[in-house]
Amino acid sequence: MGIRMKSLFFQQLSVATLLACAPVVWAGDHVFDSGFDHRVEGPWSDAQAARFLTQATMGPNLASIAHLRAVGYNTWFAEQANQAATHHRPYLEAQEAAGIDVYQNSRQEAWWLHGIRAPDQLRQRVAFALSELFVVSDQSGAIEGQPIAMANYYDLLVDNAFGNYRSLLEQVTLNPVMGHYLSMFKNRKTDTEENIRPDENYAREIMQLFSVGLVKLDDSGTPLLSGGQPIATYNQDTIRGFANVFTGWNWANCPRDDGGQWWEWEYCPPGPVEWPEPGWQAWWLVPMQPWESYHASAESKQLLDYPLVALPAGVLPGGGTAASDLHAALDNIFLHPNVAPFVARHLIKRLVSSNPSREYVGRVADAFRNNGLGVRGDLGATVRAVLMDSEARTLPSLTSNAGKLREPLLRVAHLWRALDGRADDGRYREWNADYYLGQAALRSPTVFNFFLPGYRPPGEMSALGLDGPEFQITTDTTVASIASGLGSKVFDDWRGSPWVDPEDVVVDLAPELPYASNPVRLIDRYDLLFMNRTMSTFMFNTLVNYVAALPNANTADRRQRVQEAIWLIQSSPEYSIER
Amino acid sequence: MKRREFIQRALCATASSALFTGFAGKLSLAHAAATAGGRLLGNDYRALVCVYLYGGNDAFNMLVPTSTAGYAEYQAARGELALPLGDLLTLNPSVAPVGNGTFGLSPSMPLLRNLFNQAQSPLAITTNVGPLLYPITKAQYQAGSVPVPAQLFSHSDQSVTWQQNRADAQDRRGWGGRLADMFYQTNTNQQLSMNISIDGENVFQAGDNVFPYFVGQNGAEGIDLVQPWNPERRAAFIALRDASLQNALQRQFASVMRRSMNNEVMINDALDGETPLATAFPDTHLGRQLQMIARLINARNPLQMQRQIFFVGLGGFDTHDNQLADQADCFAELDGALAAFHAATVEMSLANAVTTFTASEFGRTTSVNGDGTDHGWGSHHLIMGGAVNGRRIYGTPPSLAVGGPDDADWGQIIPTTSVDQYAATLARWYGVPASDMSTVFPNIGRFATSNLGFMSNS
Repeated sequence: MGIRMKSLFFQQLSVATLLACAPVVWAGDHVFDSGFDHRVEGPWSDAQAARFLTQATMGPNLASIAHLRAVGYNTWFAEQANQAATHHRPYLEAQEAAGIDVYQNSRQEAWWLHGIRAPDQLRQRVAFALSELFVVSDQSGAIEGQPIAMANYYDLLVDNAFGNYRSLLEQVTLNPVMGHYLSMFKNRKTDTEENIRPDENYAREIMQLFSVGLVKLDDSGTPLLSGGQPIATYNQDTIRGFANVFTGWNWANCPRDDGGQWWEWEYCPPGPVEWPEPGWQAWWLVPMQPWESYHASAESKQLLDYPLVALPAGVLPGGGTAASDLHAALDNIFLHPNVAPFVARHLIKRLVSSNPSREYVGRVADAFRNNGLGVRGDLGATVRAVLMDSEARTLPSLTSNAGKLREPLLRVAHLWRALDGRADDGRYREWNADYYLGQAALRSPTVFNFFLPGYRPPGEMSALGLDGPEFQITTDTTVASIASGLGSKVFDDWRGSPWVDPEDVVVDLAPELPYASNPVRLIDRYDLLFMNRTMSTFMFNTLVNYVAALPNANTADRRQRVQEAIWLIQSSPEYSIER
Repeated sequence: MKRREFIQRALCATASSALFTGFAGKLSLAHAAATAGGRLLGNDYRALVCVYLYGGNDAFNMLVPTSTAGYAEYQAARGELALPLGDLLTLNPSVAPVGNGTFGLSPSMPLLRNLFNQAQSPLAITTNVGPLLYPITKAQYQAGSVPVPAQLFSHSDQSVTWQQNRADAQDRRGWGGRLADMFYQTNTNQQLSMNISIDGENVFQAGDNVFPYFVGQNGAEGIDLVQPWNPERRAAFIALRDASLQNALQRQFASVMRRSMNNEVMINDALDGETPLATAFPDTHLGRQLQMIARLINARNPLQMQRQIFFVGLGGFDTHDNQLADQADCFAELDGALAAFHAATVEMSLANAVTTFTASEFGRTTSVNGDGTDHGWGSHHLIMGGAVNGRRIYGTPPSLAVGGPDDADWGQIIPTTSVDQYAATLARWYGVPASDMSTVFPNIGRFATSNLGFMSNS
């Protein structure tokens, strides 16, 4: 029975897809397929819209699918670009003002709230992707006590999601949160007598992880080879050059010039007033400022050397100030040929696919190199190139092995966006998602993010040369705990349940219940909402047959049918790999 | 990769994780897939435990020279980071180390100091180990005349290099995985991987035929929603999981889910049935991990395991800042957890069968950057177990002199012992015959010896 239903359904669906405006099978939930004048640029089907929103937002829901179909990609991008940024820091400050003790919990609340509800969805999604590039983590003792400063750091990523990479790189570099996380804060010039020399931490990671990477790349992100081996982008001399650059930065408003004393360098406070007056940590929220006598000015500094590099042989002569050296060094990084494919690859892997073709990376890198107006580093143009590329917008064949494993956080976000998950008071007390997801915003174990972009699980994927970054946190433990966690969110935490507390985030299953009596319609609805209509016939039929065999006598039965369907989808291999 | 080779690997992966294949079928598949071949089935037990110190442990503040000249050199290099001489815990090695130096241990490691100094000591230290392609001198390093591993001083790369122990390899297989490829057939139980990690993904344990299995600090994680009390839902779940999937990423996800579910019942049943150990473990990240390993070893008979390799990890060693306080905390955690783990192996009468060793991507610079240190190269490591020839300091303790003969530059110390040698010494104890050593460690022939002597011969 199931097989017949699905094949019939598929025939009619494919007609609907081909002849965009043809009548569809189940009016009601397919309303968007028939009700619009299609924008010339698309999307031309609900499935296309849902697929795009899976890549560009924290998850599709019926309203966002309908809206995108109504306005088309171009208007949607314009709307998102014009949408005011939703900031995380004010949420924490409001809680503080309300007398709530603010810890990292509050920052996690803000992440969920904005991820699920903020209208600037593209910005929030890109900011999340950037938070996995310019990594800081509350697992570091240096910043774990600074939730507001970390929220402010996240807002920097939100604000610059469509901004310029060069500007973002500088703001990241001078943010005290990054300064503490990678110890550029109070980094000082060489003192031979004390055998002290500049800290190399930030110098190393800004190059390896934020910008150019370890090996030279061609314009499409493929490593260049010499004698069959990759070519290092830089060496220890370069690290030391940058380590010297990144010296002499301290809290804003410390004495900056030669009048300062060493104890002021060491002990000048993080704010203009004494603890516990409000504002005693105000300098956490503003860029670090230079103190020249601790900056390694005299040394000439080996920076990156590459064809057409502005500085002769990549060497920055001595004599600069902390700020002028920093600007020169960031320009030196920004103009390195690796940056465009490096950033392109990162954004593609976070938003669309684990194994993009080199041509796709090359096209996105082109947009980074030149946004069409001669500007390099335009992240808005780069993001648009990622999402509107034909490789992103064409549903790949199954056998191409395209797609990516959904990040754990985005699975839960998807559920809550699709089913309007919220608590009565609007708060999202999802404080420790990492306990069961192995992931939470700005909470990676190290600066290497939750996973490396080139991670390949041992076994078939390695043999086939397929990257799967997210598999690095997909362990025997997390596959089970994620499935269980999603299960409790759909089986236990639903609006109206007598067993939930007002603080619990609950999903709204009421709009789903009318579909429960018709398993084909029910599964079709979730095929769109959760899987962009990529569900295999086998999976469709398996779910239909399973749901059809469940009782359907009353509301509780129908709710059970809905819950079973959603949970089985969200814990399946087909859902887990978005295509 | 030849197509045939790939097919064989895919088969092995399937075989080792398929619950519903008959045992005889699995065994014959495993035998058919064997390439190393010829391992004798043993009825004894042996386990290696890798304690990975994430971030690059500054062992130059773990093992500190205490002779007048040695301490002066150390103090000159370390400045404000120098541990006071009077605070160091005296080590009394039974044989003087190379160079006849005297050493003290960090004051945060009193339990390990006691283990080291005791008669029949189960604790040894190997000095100045690091990834190398060839033996190398300072002059050769500075002239660039002898190749060195790519991307020295990078966390991610040296972490992989340490765990692969094939500094020039392109794959991401570790030497624990290669050992397991040789020994996994020894285990009666062919369903459970012989490589178990309590601290998630790592390169060390990944082989060609054997992939690490992950257990949490409290045991294996199950999915309540698919337990047998709901056979219909379970059947639907398994149907979706085991469907014929055309996308390799989908298959990979399904295979992890399958392995997780199949092993969970077996492991938790075995853990539930064990007689609890009396040894108390500290309630720390590393303490809980090592306690789970002790429990798994205690359940080795119901689990039918004869050869195992475990992996645990402790973060926080990347001490660019605030090193004195942060590292003291890390060392104290290491001290308590290692000592408890050794006591548990004694309680199980398995001290001679379990060898624990530290690994870390690199040491740190002898020079300081204010209140921390940067990424170095060579470092010291601990080896613990009843089969260890303890109370000895192996290798060649380096000069810590600023600009001295071992200082590559800026206090990055050139290793005098390669990770290959360190690992081969452990592998030899584990049962790898000398004739097979170059299979596991292809570069081992480049170094003076494959046996550093810290393991007993048995």
